[in-house]
Amino acid sequence: MVELDGATAEVVRSHLAAAAEEMRATLVRTACNPVIYEVQDFGISIYDADLRLVAESTGLTRFLGANDYSIRRGVDYVGRETLRPGDVVLLNYPYWNAAHSYDATLFAPVFLADRDLVGFLCVRAHWMDLGAKDPGYVLDSTDLHQEGLIFPGTRVFAAGEPVREVHELIRFNSRMPEAVLGDLHAQVAALRTGERRLLALYAQFGRSTVQAAVEVAIAAAEQSAAEAVDRLPQGSWSAVDWLDDDGVTGDPVRMQATVTIADGEFTVDFAGSSPAVPGPVNLPLGSTIATCRVAFKAVTTPFEPTNAGHFAPLRVRVEPGTLFHAVYPAATFTQWTGTVALELIYQALAQGMPDRLAASSGGDVPGFMLVGAHPDTGQRYAVSSNEPVGWGGTARHDGIGPANHLCQTQARTTPVEVLEARTGVRVERLETRTDSGGAGRFRGGAGLRRDLRFLAPGELLTVVKKTKSAPWSLAGGRRPEPTQVILFPDTPQERRVSTARTRVAPGDRCTVQTAGGGGHGDPTARAAAAVRRDVADGYVSRQAARDVYGVLL
Amino acid sequence: MPDRPIRLAVDIGGTFVDAMELDARTQRVRFRKAPTTPAAPADGVLAAVAALGTDLSEVELFIHGTTLGLNAVLERRGATTGIITNAGFRDIFLIGRGNVPPEHMYDFQYERPASLVLRRHTAGVRGRLDYKGRVVEELDPDSVREAARLLVDEHGVRSIAVCFLHSFLDPSHERAAAELIRAAHPQVSVSLSTDIVREYREYERTSTTVLDAYIRPTFERYVDALAAGLAGGGFAGQFLIMRSGGGSMTADAARTSPTHTVLSGPAGGIVGAGYLAEVLGRDNLLTFDIGGTSLDTCVIEQGTAAAAYEAQLEHFPLLIPAYDIRTIGAGGGSIAWLDRGLLKVGPHSAGADPGPVCYGRGGTRPTVTDASVVLGYLDPERFLAGQMGLHAEAAAKALDEQVAQPLGLGVVAAAAGVYDVLLARTVGAVRQITVERGHDPRQFSLLAYGGAGPLLAALLAREMGIQEVVVPFAPAGFSAWGMLSADIVDDFSRTVLAELSAAAVGDLADRFREVEAEAAASLAAQGVPEQRAVLERQLELRYLGQEHSMVVTVGQDLAAEPIRRSFEELHRARYGHAMDNQLQVLNLRVRAIGRTDRPELVRHPAGDGDPARALLTHREAYDFGARAVVRFAVYDRAKLAPGDRFTGPALVDEGTATTVVPGGVAVDVDGYGQLLIRERR
Repeated sequence: MVELDGATAEVVRSHLAAAAEEMRATLVRTACNPVIYEVQDFGISIYDADLRLVAESTGLTRFLGANDYSIRRGVDYVGRETLRPGDVVLLNYPYWNAAHSYDATLFAPVFLADRDLVGFLCVRAHWMDLGAKDPGYVLDSTDLHQEGLIFPGTRVFAAGEPVREVHELIRFNSRMPEAVLGDLHAQVAALRTGERRLLALYAQFGRSTVQAAVEVAIAAAEQSAAEAVDRLPQGSWSAVDWLDDDGVTGDPVRMQATVTIADGEFTVDFAGSSPAVPGPVNLPLGSTIATCRVAFKAVTTPFEPTNAGHFAPLRVRVEPGTLFHAVYPAATFTQWTGTVALELIYQALAQGMPDRLAASSGGDVPGFMLVGAHPDTGQRYAVSSNEPVGWGGTARHDGIGPANHLCQTQARTTPVEVLEARTGVRVERLETRTDSGGAGRFRGGAGLRRDLRFLAPGELLTVVKKTKSAPWSLAGGRRPEPTQVILFPDTPQERRVSTARTRVAPGDRCTVQTAGGGGHGDPTARAAAAVRRDVADGYVSRQAARDVYGVLL
Repeated sequence: MPDRPIRLAVDIGGTFVDAMELDARTQRVRFRKAPTTPAAPADGVLAAVAALGTDLSEVELFIHGTTLGLNAVLERRGATTGIITNAGFRDIFLIGRGNVPPEHMYDFQYERPASLVLRRHTAGVRGRLDYKGRVVEELDPDSVREAARLLVDEHGVRSIAVCFLHSFLDPSHERAAAELIRAAHPQVSVSLSTDIVREYREYERTSTTVLDAYIRPTFERYVDALAAGLAGGGFAGQFLIMRSGGGSMTADAARTSPTHTVLSGPAGGIVGAGYLAEVLGRDNLLTFDIGGTSLDTCVIEQGTAAAAYEAQLEHFPLLIPAYDIRTIGAGGGSIAWLDRGLLKVGPHSAGADPGPVCYGRGGTRPTVTDASVVLGYLDPERFLAGQMGLHAEAAAKALDEQVAQPLGLGVVAAAAGVYDVLLARTVGAVRQITVERGHDPRQFSLLAYGGAGPLLAALLAREMGIQEVVVPFAPAGFSAWGMLSADIVDDFSRTVLAELSAAAVGDLADRFREVEAEAAASLAAQGVPEQRAVLERQLELRYLGQEHSMVVTVGQDLAAEPIRRSFEELHRARYGHAMDNQLQVLNLRVRAIGRTDRPELVRHPAGDGDPARALLTHREAYDFGARAVVRFAVYDRAKLAPGDRFTGPALVDEGTATTVVPGGVAVDVDGYGQLLIRERR
């Protein structure tokens, strides 16, 4: 091993980060579905030969490290010794893939020369359709085999050439084959970009320098994470929360997380959570670990580019066969459990460090999807939107909002003009909700209200798992109202739903009201000037100013 | 000989105003600087002109580059701005797309910077179009009047941005609303989204309009003050202002669409680079512009700079054409520091005040400029033509204590490390902008300018395998020089969103003709004679389902198949694959160009080929080829003549800039006096 100075190590690290960023640019520019380029529902990582993460690009926070789990399982299945230059392997078996079956993980080995494997590249991205039982999204499957075509680790390119039979298998098993194969090509283009960069890096610096630089970066990250853990309050805290239902039985689903920070370790234990449930809300282990990583990263080293070293202190404890460790053939399609679990871990942590963390950020991602045939062209569409919520107040400032939930901070909402043009559905309102942020010395950010009117027959899928209990607050702040989805408002058919697939006819309407953030601190301690400003801007009503904040206007 | 033979270009920067004079009779240029005057920016401009001593009555053309609009936004000094939009959608601007900046991806306590518009200054009015531009509900004049009354009379709003859903398909509701607002409140400035851009996506369009409304009153006052000041000095020529996305526009045009000026800071250099690329016959040129705080790079293909049709200012999207520039927050003033044993350069900068340690103005943290002094590249006695002595020992001490010792390196090795880290970041950015466009960076020449560009250019070229570096004369003033060759340009677009088919092409032709009529009218209104007017057509295309589009230039004859082939060729070149998927036309674009007379590059007579006449001295400096301190020859740029040839290690000093020529590299002085640096073969 060569000795490296800090300048050279940083030079190599910059090149690796730039390579991941180039892969990201290639993917988002060529992808054929908005879930990739708008929701950023992808994860891109670069590994060394030992499958340690050396660089990743920005994407969906909840995919942090999901690739790390998947690629190990994928390489084990395929057999490292069978890999050849130019191979690209597809994996979407949920229990290995740290996600549901529509997240397609593609990985590729990088060879300096034949037989000389120096690293791996991995690009996961959400595909629009792989032949699951329902179009768009699956809300009520009861086992894996209702969730689409499964690839356990299958070459889609072999030695640089497309494996035609596999591409055709995908084509004949998808309701939207052009988009899916387009995305496959986009992922392969991103892998090829990364491969070229990695090879150039090795050519320029030589193997020993690159590998030494990786060791330096991982060691620095380990040290940084260890110091951050030591600076956190030490102790153990638990929180319990409930999913509205599992999509099948209608019963609430119990989730419990206990976070323990002691002796340089940060442990998340899911004991006390529900056993596996019939509906598709079970989380594969890799997905549970990825969720824990996001919470851990956010409280330890949020601003450092990620590598394997950052997670050295993290431990995750969970029993197989439970909600947080799905095993075959448990249904896993509706991965919203991970979103609510991120907040659950945060809620446990917040008990130990209320001044360091924000209160709840809406509790969940309120999502909906419109599925139907366009009234002008008859073309089938499936357009989704994950709605912004309010973020929690902190000990120092109000929460932002409406903004996308913590588990997808980089996602972008679909413009009204795009949504209307693609679906023919009319948006009648998209506005911040008064009094939606939890009151506090620093209040939660506001949620929003969206009204939809259907002008043609179709289906509305709503996906939200936390409408029955309010998001949590901190340090005496107030809880905001939970998200509400109201079908057919102001009609005799009016009803509230959380996760549902509903047939709609022309003239039907739906209202989504997303939760604000939790409040932080006693509302009566809020500066009167801030309350007046909020009233002038319509974030707080006069009545709430008087009754909750004690400010007369 | 014209009776007004002089052209003036004046560029406002963060610390200095650069003024460049061109005399058409002799083709000679002169260059002066004056301090920037933030409180009354027109004063600094007039002072720089006064420093040149130009008789304004002899000036035919005054071209101005200003970042006034940009600064108004960055410093939140614009007008109190309101938004009028559809009822139920008043929060479009404040919600945006819901995302947070990428560097805050895991920052769950993120706080947004202050917005440009308060929520109380937003109002919705009744009236609605659908996604085909059909009226769903007629615009209600009473609700417009009431919204305007609320914003202006109750909240003191001075400038109003109007943006309605789907207005890009039919601007009539916006225009009707504007008339109602202006009739009731003639003193209030009104900006319409469809006057600025006819493209889809309501948040991006609203944001563009808000920026316009926010800076317009300030900008108008500034242009009027400057025009009056120039007229007072006898100026009766044409007054042009630089645009963000290429070329210039008349001051009158700029008053009504100031948004087009906000990102024009680096534009002068890029216009100049495009011109130079043509004159020198370089098909592929990369610009490399390093100033005090940032490094800008842009691709120039066949004389045309890479363009983007969406830009960003802070986190606000702007649907305006802009050069596709990659910027790194690192320049001469960037601070070198240690983060857990890893050496970092920037993004913090010592700025102009206190500046690098070697300036001796109180700076204590070592910068890239300090590293340049330690490496022996900057002569403490001759820096800025001797006007400013450099404190070399203080620079070395700061670098030694804060970087070298903690890293266990010698001070020179640490300074070299600062260069290495800066270069590594640069390589990533340069590679991205070339590779994204399907090119190999090794096919490019590198044009180095800005105060620090020539210090690093040859090293960057070597790192990337670039064959040639071009250093123009007076690289520090290159941006102002570039402005002298700017055409008058205006851009027009329409969102189409139709599949590319034989049937759709006829409709496209009609829409091109409609937009071209508008484009021709704009040039005529800016005084461009017909024989100098050029209209260019482009289509933005993508595979159905993609978000990102690519631009294909098309001619008068439109046919689906050749257009598809051009797109596929581009897609394959950039991403390695093409598909059978349906193509979609996103936008059509027309660029209107009024050609100006460009300044001639003056050829100088060849010398005797022996650079010895220009040899000033020898100096010890660090050579990145040998990785050691060696003896460098130091040449005086002013005394070099065409035909001179010498090899590194050498330094070329010209007072406002120093060019570093590493060992193993050869320099040729071309007929225009430019340095062409190439690997010695």
